[in-house]
Amino acid sequence: MYMAKYIGKRVGLMIITFLIIFVTCFVLIKLLPFDDTAGFGQDTEKIRAQFRARGYYDPIPQQLVQYLRRIFKDGDFGIGFNIPEYRGRYVWDVFVEKLPPTILINVYSSLIAVPIGIALGILAALKKNKWQDHVISTGVMVVISVPSFVYGSLLLFLVCFKLDLLPLKMASFAEIIKAYPAENYVYTPGSANWPLFFNQKMFVSMLPAVFAMSFGSIAGYARFTRAELTEVLTSEFMLLARTKGLTKAQATTRHALRNAMVPIFPSIVGEFISVLSGSLVLEKIFSIPGVGGLYLSAINANDYDFFMMLSGFYLLVGLVASLVIDLSYGVIDPRIRMGAK
Amino acid sequence: MKKLLALVMALCMLCGAAMAEGTSAQEGVYTYNDYLTLSPSNWNELTYQDNNDTEIMSYIGSSFFTYDFKFDEYGEIIPGEFEIIYSAATALEDVTAKYAEAWNLPADGKGYAWKITLRDDLKWENGDPIKAEDFVYTMSEQLNPLFQNYRADSFYVGSTIIANAASYVKQGQSVVEDNSATGKYTVADLVKGEDGVYTQPDGGKISFALTTGLDWCGGKTVTQYSAYLDADAFAALQGLADENGLVAVTDDTIALVTKLIDTDNWGHEPPENVPYYMVYEFTYGAMDFSEVGIFVGDNEYELVVVLEKALDLLKEDGTLSYKAAYNFSSLPLVHKATYEACKIAPTEGVELWTSNYNSSKETTMSWGAYKLESFQSGTQFVLVKNENWYGYGLPENEGLYQTDRRVVNIVKDWNSAWLMFLAGEVDGIGIDVSVADDYKGSERAYFTPSDFVSSMQLQSNVTELKNRETEGINKSILGYADFRKALSLGINRADFTTQCTTSSKPGFGLFNSMHYYDVANGGVFRNTDEARQVLCNIYGVDATQYASLEDAVDAITGYNLDLARELVTKAYNEALAAGDIKETDIVKLTFGTGSITEAVTRQVNFIEDSWKKMLEGTPLEGRLEVEVLDFASAWANDFRAGKYDVCMGGWTGAAWDPGYFLLAYLDSGYMYSKAWDTANTMMTFTMKGVAEDGGDITETMGLLDWYACLNGTGKYDWSSNGLPQEKRLQLIAALEEQVLQVYYTVPLANSFSASMLSYKVDYITYEYNTFMGYGGFKYMTYNYDDAQWAAAVAEQNGELNYK
Repeated sequence: MYMAKYIGKRVGLMIITFLIIFVTCFVLIKLLPFDDTAGFGQDTEKIRAQFRARGYYDPIPQQLVQYLRRIFKDGDFGIGFNIPEYRGRYVWDVFVEKLPPTILINVYSSLIAVPIGIALGILAALKKNKWQDHVISTGVMVVISVPSFVYGSLLLFLVCFKLDLLPLKMASFAEIIKAYPAENYVYTPGSANWPLFFNQKMFVSMLPAVFAMSFGSIAGYARFTRAELTEVLTSEFMLLARTKGLTKAQATTRHALRNAMVPIFPSIVGEFISVLSGSLVLEKIFSIPGVGGLYLSAINANDYDFFMMLSGFYLLVGLVASLVIDLSYGVIDPRIRMGAK
Repeated sequence: MKKLLALVMALCMLCGAAMAEGTSAQEGVYTYNDYLTLSPSNWNELTYQDNNDTEIMSYIGSSFFTYDFKFDEYGEIIPGEFEIIYSAATALEDVTAKYAEAWNLPADGKGYAWKITLRDDLKWENGDPIKAEDFVYTMSEQLNPLFQNYRADSFYVGSTIIANAASYVKQGQSVVEDNSATGKYTVADLVKGEDGVYTQPDGGKISFALTTGLDWCGGKTVTQYSAYLDADAFAALQGLADENGLVAVTDDTIALVTKLIDTDNWGHEPPENVPYYMVYEFTYGAMDFSEVGIFVGDNEYELVVVLEKALDLLKEDGTLSYKAAYNFSSLPLVHKATYEACKIAPTEGVELWTSNYNSSKETTMSWGAYKLESFQSGTQFVLVKNENWYGYGLPENEGLYQTDRRVVNIVKDWNSAWLMFLAGEVDGIGIDVSVADDYKGSERAYFTPSDFVSSMQLQSNVTELKNRETEGINKSILGYADFRKALSLGINRADFTTQCTTSSKPGFGLFNSMHYYDVANGGVFRNTDEARQVLCNIYGVDATQYASLEDAVDAITGYNLDLARELVTKAYNEALAAGDIKETDIVKLTFGTGSITEAVTRQVNFIEDSWKKMLEGTPLEGRLEVEVLDFASAWANDFRAGKYDVCMGGWTGAAWDPGYFLLAYLDSGYMYSKAWDTANTMMTFTMKGVAEDGGDITETMGLLDWYACLNGTGKYDWSSNGLPQEKRLQLIAALEEQVLQVYYTVPLANSFSASMLSYKVDYITYEYNTFMGYGGFKYMTYNYDDAQWAAAVAEQNGELNYK
């Protein structure tokens, strides 16, 4: 009951926080001057008439009310105006279409990175100060020190170009439809097109980016797990567990790992949620049509509708993530209960 | 461990299987694999905004008239020459006389009304026929006031002005008109109200403007010139002005303005000129599209277009002039049913209608040589032959258009695209400076000139330079012309182009070899004696010491450290005497850019090193600092506003009309050196042999006034309609010299782009033709079909050698 009250309170606070930040973003972006001057051989009046018709010269509070009414009444987040690649397209459609590759690459990357990273961390902790630990720790340091775009470029050059094991770019939907005529795949612009992602050709074409993205995560999880587990393994309750008659393996899996997971699990959740913003550099290197860079483009281009939709989305994701992470502590460790007596 | 091994093996098998699937190249199919860094978004002719969009648009449309290579009797291309041929049209006729009365055209005028006879076999990709009414419908949508389409002004600004197009687009809009530009009202025309305030005869508001740019003031405002005007009258008017700087016209304010302009510094303007300081409100009335100058002619394949400005689209002998393909190659065309279905009504708080026509495969309709087979934003689009295109049946196209498919992948990273090129997956790519040394000499490399002159822009706003100075930091010295000239002479352009660009060549003037002053006769401005003399004057080369002006120009390097050091010392001493610099000051120049890329950093570092070397032995040795700041998309406007000191910028466009192109350097609406008062920078110029008696005309006028003459809107009509091109170029050259000699714009490089073409394909020629480029897909030939190419690449183990 107390937990339900706590969640309700957090959700309420979350909504208030969301509204305050969302409105602030709207006002701030609208306060920025926009360029309504004509280019070479253009009619300034026509450009201003277009801005006027879009309501850009209306008072900001009026624009805010109209914007919110559009969203709540019609579910209309607006139409792209200034980002060259998405002019005239519904911003929500663009986002929805670009989100799946970003999510999938990060999910695949997490599926590889989490078990391998944690396994390496456990091995290093269990073999602390032995050669296995030294090899893993050194490898981890090297990988962490090198930025991901370096792995990306190396992978592309060695694995995709020199060894020709994987394709140089992600497959297009047209290629997938052509490769699997029996599947009757249909590409619908402006929607997620999930079925088109779940086939061998698409999966393989995503692998270079998945591998490049997973290296850093593997190293991160390995280092974190090693540090946490090493600390737990030296705790007194582990000694107690052994003296109770548990084997080392039993004590480690039943007690040490579970305790070590308390900080590790939220970091997995946090990283997983942060992937929704995509990786600007890796998506560029591997020609992934994801959302990485979309937010930056919206800010640089002063594209209000894109900026507001993305701000709202990431803000919501961030707030939900923090709530989920807080609640996850209690799930992993029963001793942690918010306000329980 | 066994499980892990099994997993790795399975993964490798999957990869292998997938790779095998990807090599299904077809025999007898010719595919050109291309790449772009940005995806097109809107290839709708009515609204497109970027060159990127033309990557689809130019393949799915056709032209009435088009350029073609000119071939000699042996079938060889004649370099630099061209011809204009009919394509989607079969005839063009000047019908001005027929429509003169109905459209108020000059009775003896020529080139105002044109009848285009369309081919009767024009079809959309779905087989729907195309007739003249489709072009009329499209123009009604192009100019639809509800949409305010981005490309609407193409038909009422510039050289192709359709009768009443502007009035149709702007119907219902209220605009403020400059009375000095329209000359509509004198004081006597105005009506005095009971409150003593004058209005237009229809009751519309008319006011004196203090803060609105006026044509009479060369685009500047009265407030900007207040120092030259009567101070008391100006203060009184300011006190009466509203928040927009407008003052009601009354007897009192007329008296004040009369006093305002009657000063020594302003030249004692007479009271008759008072109306030139007024602006008035004008509301465009409602009108029907039938009043716009485009309609179906005597039969369904005849399209008549009535223009407000005459165009000479036919030569004396009745053949097509170059302007037919330049100004009138086509008119926009949309598929009516598809377009209507793509209209998007305005939503809450928005009054603008929009359309998503030609933004996806489903909303696209082609009447060109190719049609869109697939489009995935941000990933790939594919164009294939449009079997319904009329051109494939023409005998002159037999054996041409070998390309069956154009597959364009969106690859944002050049390095990734380069690997694709080396792997045979991309057939054409630009050479990046990082590999230029290895590949510039490749047999597959070719170099394309551009009309863009990469120039360094130096800040002209002395007030802002001063405002941005802090203790010990000086910027004011940039306001000294000698210092700016020294900065120009301190850069070795040959080294700059070698070290900072892939293949550009040193540039010295505002125009380069791509700017034609006389297109019809192949007259390149830079190759004229007038233009050559300008460069000799600016770079201090004594032409009499050389066998010819051409030799003198060839000797120009633009690099003279001794003279630069002299000029720095001179400017420094003058600034010191004027209190504009202290002996301990550091000169700190801020470079602004839209994005701090590797290329920008390389350029700035080169320029900084050059300047530091140039300053050795001068009072400013060791006292220069250069910083680079990112101003994102506002970089150009911020520079114009005086927010930083140096930027790299230039202009492209209007390469066949250098007289018009000067607008970029003389009109404050476009100029980087916005603070330079070109209206009041006087020039004395003699135009030879143009007086009525055949003599010369010598006059002193502001640069903007001279520009107006050059474009037919000034005291003299020296536009291409009013004066032979050989004479006009005298004035173009004089104005170029005026711009160069103030050193706000310092040309550095004539842009060339270096590219590579794969072994798979060949252009018909590698000598760039201004009108035809390299011949495009029409003339492209293939050395391999897709299957042969896949085999050839495999033979090379997937890695092609282009060195």
